[in-house]
Amino acid sequence: MRKRNREGDTDEAQIDLTPMLDVVFIMLIFFIVVASFLKEAGIEVNRPDASESNPQDDKGGILVTITGDDQIWMENRRIDIRAVRANIARLLASDPEQGFTVKTESGASAGTLLEVGDAAREAGVKQVNWPAEVAK
Amino acid sequence: MSRRGGGGRAASQGGGGEGEIDLTPMLDVVFIMLIFFIVTSSFVKEPGVPIVKAEAVTTDPCERGTIIFAVNALGDIYYDKKQIPVERAYRLAEAAKKEAPKANFVVQADTDAPTSALSELLAAIKPLMDAPLCASTEEAG
Repeated sequence: MRKRNREGDTDEAQIDLTPMLDVVFIMLIFFIVVASFLKEAGIEVNRPDASESNPQDDKGGILVTITGDDQIWMENRRIDIRAVRANIARLLASDPEQGFTVKTESGASAGTLLEVGDAAREAGVKQVNWPAEVAK
Repeated sequence: MSRRGGGGRAASQGGGGEGEIDLTPMLDVVFIMLIFFIVTSSFVKEPGVPIVKAEAVTTDPCERGTIIFAVNALGDIYYDKKQIPVERAYRLAEAAKKEAPKANFVVQADTDAPTSALSELLAAIKPLMDAPLCASTEEAG
């Protein structure tokens, strides 16, 4: 009899954790379910401010133009996508700090743009600038 | 057991204590997991449209890139599993940015997506961007 009383006392002194555990588990399961460990990866493309994208300012940076039919032009000649990296690396060798700009005409595909950006980054360009397309 | 009380009482509880499982370590682990998942949860709204991404050798993780737009091969813009007109992109981007001020923008562009659509989208969200746009690509190789 005494023993039972004493046990009753200790039960009262201890907090029953079961409801809290239920809540905690439900929260845990909720957060596990909604957690989307999606890691987007890609290449950074900078859009220069409108004031910077003046086509007249020739700061001596590297310029690549992608025409509407996905041709890549550089230094007034058409080059293959595989040659872009080598050409940029060659230009970059003279001045590693110079900027890089890729211009597109409407009709070009994003794949080509990203391939050129990738080639430029591979060649060592720090930032790929892509100004707004100029209306023809 | 000894910290629970004096001799006789500890002994009488010892018998019951073996039957009960001590939940404290499990609770610790569960709490740590809970906090981890709360902290890492980002509630990303995925565009939910199949995109053929360009392959790039210099693919880097997009830092905090959790506001994701997609541009498919037809030049349609998708956000949160819905196709949206480019005029709405700014308002949606603004709302997302308000919810997560540190988030950066990601655009999943299809390889065949016209750059004009991408350019328009970029022009629309440009005022909200505080980092260069992360154009989603596939790690080459």
